[in-house]
Amino acid sequence: MASQVTVFVENKPGRIARITRILGNNNINIRAITISDMGEYGLINILTNDPDSASDVLSKEGFSVSRKYVIGVIMKDRPGGLADIAEYLNKSTINISNAYGFILKEGDKAVLILEVDDFDRAEEVIRKGGFHTLTEGELHNI
Amino acid sequence: MEGTYWDRVETIQRDGLKKLQLKRLNKTFERAKKSRFYRDRLPETINSLDALKDIPFTTKSDLRSSFPNGMLSVPQEEIIRLHSSSGTTGRATVIYHTRSDIDSWADLVARSMYMTGVRKSDVFQNMMGYGLFTGGLGLHYGSERLGALTIPASSGNSIRQIRLMKEFNSTVIHITPSYALHLYILFQEECIDPVSDLHLRIAFLGAEPYSEETRKRIESLYGLDAFNSYGLSEMNGPGVAFECPVKEGMHVWEDSYILEVVDPETGDLLSDGEEGEIVLTTLKREGMPVIRYRTGDIASVFPGECPCGRTHRRISRIKGRTDDMLIIKGVNLYPMQIEKILMDIPEVGNNYLIEIEKIDYLDSINIKVEVRPEIFHGDIIELENLKKRIVEDLKNEILIHPRITLVEPNSLPRSEGKAVRVVDNRSK
Ligand SMILES: [Zn+2]
Repeated sequence: MASQVTVFVENKPGRIARITRILGNNNINIRAITISDMGEYGLINILTNDPDSASDVLSKEGFSVSRKYVIGVIMKDRPGGLADIAEYLNKSTINISNAYGFILKEGDKAVLILEVDDFDRAEEVIRKGGFHTLTEGELHNI
Repeated sequence: MEGTYWDRVETIQRDGLKKLQLKRLNKTFERAKKSRFYRDRLPETINSLDALKDIPFTTKSDLRSSFPNGMLSVPQEEIIRLHSSSGTTGRATVIYHTRSDIDSWADLVARSMYMTGVRKSDVFQNMMGYGLFTGGLGLHYGSERLGALTIPASSGNSIRQIRLMKEFNSTVIHITPSYALHLYILFQEECIDPVSDLHLRIAFLGAEPYSEETRKRIESLYGLDAFNSYGLSEMNGPGVAFECPVKEGMHVWEDSYILEVVDPETGDLLSDGEEGEIVLTTLKREGMPVIRYRTGDIASVFPGECPCGRTHRRISRIKGRTDDMLIIKGVNLYPMQIEKILMDIPEVGNNYLIEIEKIDYLDSINIKVEVRPEIFHGDIIELENLKKRIVEDLKNEILIHPRITLVEPNSLPRSEGKAVRVVDNRSK
């Protein structure tokens, strides 16, 4: 199971820079980063090659950090790739609270990251649909 | 045989009490007039307690300006202890005690503790700071006077506190309410259930404002009876007023203090039941008598007799302090009223700062709350619900509509003891 770390930050200059610097100094690679902006504060979701260490070092630096399991779905980086999976999930009534994607280095594949309410059911449904979900190890190696 | 009362004076008839007060008041005048400060401020004697209202007040700034020994009434060699407060604002003050003062103080605290049910078979773990702060030593001496086994644990070092409780079967604790709540989390981590695994039965909560809900929470978490008390270093410290088992107001020990409630603006005497500033006069202190001291604490006197049989009048919880009353949009408000509500929301606890600002010429309250790791689960909805809950609670209970700002952990000022939790930016 893949997981991301979510960090609470006040909306003030330099917070994202500080977080990415801390991760960089600890040789942690960021795969994707998204921000849920609530005005005076925000939640930064970070997908890294090493969520355990990412969570540890950010906690040690005094941040409030939470770990969350996410589903990473591999899809072909071609027109309609995202539509395929979106339609499928919609039909299966999986409730998605957040989604973001990124393209793999090889360039022909993309990863869609999904935050869902009912993790176990969602993962099963997605697998049954013939989609490939990333393991923690796979995420580590990409 | 054990009685209900520590001292017969607890149930003295009111007219007898008044005679005793007048006699002790005149003795106090005689002593106080030996000090530089009171020399020309007091008459030789007064013939009735009613005449007390014409004697000038003593204020905190009088204590400061007569620092260090303007109010000393005996040669310094008779003094065996001092307690000094640096105060959150302004210059230091000092209170001197003779041997007899320390003795009377210990006796009042013993009387108070006995009233709540502490007996010599009890084990009292005193988890308040010792030192210049009067809370720790005050209860220490009282507990020893009572004859309980006294553990001077002092504050902090949670692991040791837990160990002491277990090893010596502590039955009575003296603790701040926020520390009691914090310690409970540690008990859970250590898989100790304070109700079944410990022997605690009585707690004295002090040094911080807290609400009735917090008291009930601590009582049920620990399976004990928690008692309110009132004291201030100018009047010795703890032992001025204490709750009896009826838990409806705190009996002020009127054989040792004269209690008045005055209008904070005019200084006029108020009747029982009316809310005003507590004014106290020491009746037994030798080293440094203090007469008509403006405590700055707002409360009211409970009218009527207490079912416990004690005749000394009872005061309500302290509603706030005259010196930090806020006027928000024309409404009088004490920060303590906001604090009590905030402290009752477990996610907030002690981690908040109240800021008052003027926005577009209107008073506005902004409450900053730290999002500590313990309460953060990466969920925006949860955080937004917390904000809503804080606003709702404040709106329902004290009719203010604050803005809530969530801030990063450890971003609010921390300080030893009394934290600065209210910042008024309007005057700037
Ligand atoms: Zn009573």
